[in-house]
Amino acid sequence: MNRTKTIYYIVLAVSILATMFMNFMAFQVPTALWALDGLLVVGGFVGYIYSQNLGVYVIKRFGEAILVLFVIATLTFLLLRVLPGGPFDQEKALPPEVKANIEAKYKLNEPLYMQYYYYVSGLAQGDLGESYKYLGRPVTEIVMETLPTSLQLGFYALVVAFIIGIPAGVFAAARHNTWMDNTTMIFAISGVSLPSFLVAAVFVLLFSFGLDLLPAAQWRGPEYYLMPVVILGIRPAAYIARLTRSSVLEVIGSDYIRTAKSKGLSERTVLFKHVLKNSLIPVLTFSGPLVAGVLSGSFIIEQIFAVPGMGKHLIQSVTNRDYPLIMAMTLLFSAMLVVANLIVDLLYSFFDPRIRLS
Amino acid sequence: MLYRLSTALVAVALVASCTKKKELEYGLNPAETLTVNLNTEPPTLDWSKATDTTSSHVMNNIMEGLVAYDVTTPDLQLRPALATAWEPSEKASVWTFTLRENVTWTDGQPFTAQHVVDGWERLLNPATASAYSYFLYDIKNAKDYNQGKLKDFSKVGVSINDKGQVVVTLDKSKSYFPYLLTHASTYPVRKDVIETHGDRWTEPENIVTLGPFQLKIWEHDKSLVLTRNDNYYGTKPKIKNVLAYMITEKSTAINLFDSKVIDAQDDLPTTELKFLRERPEYKSKNLLGTYYYGMNVKKAPMDNVLVRKAVSHAIDRQQITDLLAGGQIPATSFVPPGMFGYEKGLGIQPDIKKANELLDQAGYKDRSKFPKLILGFNTNEDHQRVAENIQAQLKTNLGIQVELQNQEWKVYLKTVRTDAPHMYRMGWIADYPDPDNFLSLMTSYSENNYTNWGNEEFDTLVESGRSVLDKEKRREIYRRAQQILTQVEAPVVPIYNYVSFYLVSERVKNYPVNQMQRRVYSNVEIKK
Repeated sequence: MNRTKTIYYIVLAVSILATMFMNFMAFQVPTALWALDGLLVVGGFVGYIYSQNLGVYVIKRFGEAILVLFVIATLTFLLLRVLPGGPFDQEKALPPEVKANIEAKYKLNEPLYMQYYYYVSGLAQGDLGESYKYLGRPVTEIVMETLPTSLQLGFYALVVAFIIGIPAGVFAAARHNTWMDNTTMIFAISGVSLPSFLVAAVFVLLFSFGLDLLPAAQWRGPEYYLMPVVILGIRPAAYIARLTRSSVLEVIGSDYIRTAKSKGLSERTVLFKHVLKNSLIPVLTFSGPLVAGVLSGSFIIEQIFAVPGMGKHLIQSVTNRDYPLIMAMTLLFSAMLVVANLIVDLLYSFFDPRIRLS
Repeated sequence: MLYRLSTALVAVALVASCTKKKELEYGLNPAETLTVNLNTEPPTLDWSKATDTTSSHVMNNIMEGLVAYDVTTPDLQLRPALATAWEPSEKASVWTFTLRENVTWTDGQPFTAQHVVDGWERLLNPATASAYSYFLYDIKNAKDYNQGKLKDFSKVGVSINDKGQVVVTLDKSKSYFPYLLTHASTYPVRKDVIETHGDRWTEPENIVTLGPFQLKIWEHDKSLVLTRNDNYYGTKPKIKNVLAYMITEKSTAINLFDSKVIDAQDDLPTTELKFLRERPEYKSKNLLGTYYYGMNVKKAPMDNVLVRKAVSHAIDRQQITDLLAGGQIPATSFVPPGMFGYEKGLGIQPDIKKANELLDQAGYKDRSKFPKLILGFNTNEDHQRVAENIQAQLKTNLGIQVELQNQEWKVYLKTVRTDAPHMYRMGWIADYPDPDNFLSLMTSYSENNYTNWGNEEFDTLVESGRSVLDKEKRREIYRRAQQILTQVEAPVVPIYNYVSFYLVSERVKNYPVNQMQRRVYSNVEIKK
């Protein structure tokens, strides 16, 4: 049993790493590989849920999630109608008869409850409508064309955040109150407090114009990915480092760690086997909203590096009062948040078997 | 761990920099490709529906109308495009357009008069819901058709005569009518293509066009590629491709310009103009547009013409244009320079002494009795700078208090349209280079007039200006109309005339720079 588990983990890790690497290096990743990855992850997760007897819990949570999304959709719908200024208000005022034609086309002339009815029935059929700004383009198409880039950027940034953040936190905690701890934390605090547009400007100046190593913007291959990914990853990395550090320090002080130490286990074993796993709980809690936030695209980073992602639609759809696109963005972001939080909840019992979900 | 990771990253960076791509995306050859920035994704390339400048920018390269402006003439005279000749009837109420022969669309189909009629039918059809359908309201019965009151398009004043000419009957005589046909919304369309592909007809694999370039690739939100149209009837473009990116952030675009990724950048960050102006690649051109402040004449004390005039006299426009530092032109007249009907010296000139006299006369000798004015603008760094300057000038020059009120753009539009503050910022850029496009804004019945000001004589003058063919008579009419608007009644304070600024790489020759910001790349050459 234990052996099959190990083999599964190795296959999972190798296949995902290979896909990630190929994707990062701008190879044409074969669909089969994506499919295999997806299958392994989903299959593994289903297996995990099953083995922990969480099936009913997950179904219940999904039911709740749909209800939450419905409430969000309704609230957003209403809030948008309260917001002053309509989608077709522009600098050059339109004659009333022209405005009437446009409103009739998008059914904006009908009573609010009818508009709501059309919206909900469309939603039930998976039709989110056409953009009011990008005429004739279904908003689902806009999402499908821009989301993958944001996911790509966000995913690498998360990888950077976790592989820098967690070790740095553990390292600082293990060297508690030494100059190494202090230096790490100075970096972490700067990472949290420096605005990303400033970091980006400095990086561009240094790596693009000073050293001429990396392109200043755009999203065309690995050398283009580096700067935006690292800059987007810095802030969460710094958060995670601080969180890990304090959590590790707290766990180190607990009784069972003292027991482990008094058993004569080496410091390394204690740290990695007993401390780390338990101290990741707060990091896990933080990861839910983090993952949803980073994956849905960063407006600032995408703007500065001209990354053709979804971040700008998140902001500009509101400026444009592009109702269908705003609704799509809100729903997508909420769904990502709900799913990420669900996964986090499910993972709790993996990190700490004392936590039981029911 | 950290060490290894950083070495790995540096290694990737080094490998990457060694393999830095010299060729352009999509395998385009840099020697025959102009790379530009559109600033945003074009909302649509459907010319019957587009209303924004980015879409026009692309559409004007791939499509043409019956007539076009000759950008080389100072007041933008018309030149033949798809029409070779146009004749007004004696009273300019019927116009006859002779179409160019042997013109073919990019799919090889011949261009016919029916395509022109189809384009106008589509623009006016209520189902199209085009925002610019009112452009053709001058045509007989067009408005009724657009409102759905009239179902039969053959009753609208457009027809094809037996010589194959397009005959347009207007509701009244309109001397500027051909100018409307320079606008993309009036371009001909291919109904068969639109019917086959629906909303997707503007995608590169479906679209058919008549202009010097054709749409080859369109990766939404990222870039598009135009290539030379070998079927084009006129002089074929000298470059083979235009690669257009959609980079929203201006400073990023400038970085890419400096990295030689793009050859030209049209929209520059105004706060950096001071430095950018010093660069050899910098170019600028005045635009046919006016930045102005309107005054709500229903709100005391702006109901008093003496107060309005005093405010106008008290603002030194030169100070504002110096502040903006982009070569903007101080304005006192509503019609911008470079357009027919502009006259130097029209309007209220800055004169602090006069301003104070007028305010005294208005009954505000004691300035503390003067109510605080609300000055509204939409949230934007430049508008803020202008508003703050006006606030300071009015305080120093007249001793009156002004409160600034900024709002998000769409909220602001709602405010000025429902209950404009004492003074509000607005701007207008010409749709077509005729003074009617400016002065008709301020008629009492215009949807764009938020001042609540209306003047019968002004309305009559604007109305008569439309029908007069004689240029000198027309000039006289617009002079009088402008005097009423900016001198006698003064519901608006023109501040400055817009300027467009560009950075253009030195490898590009004949980059199109003109006062209508028409960027058609037919004459562009790339230096070897």
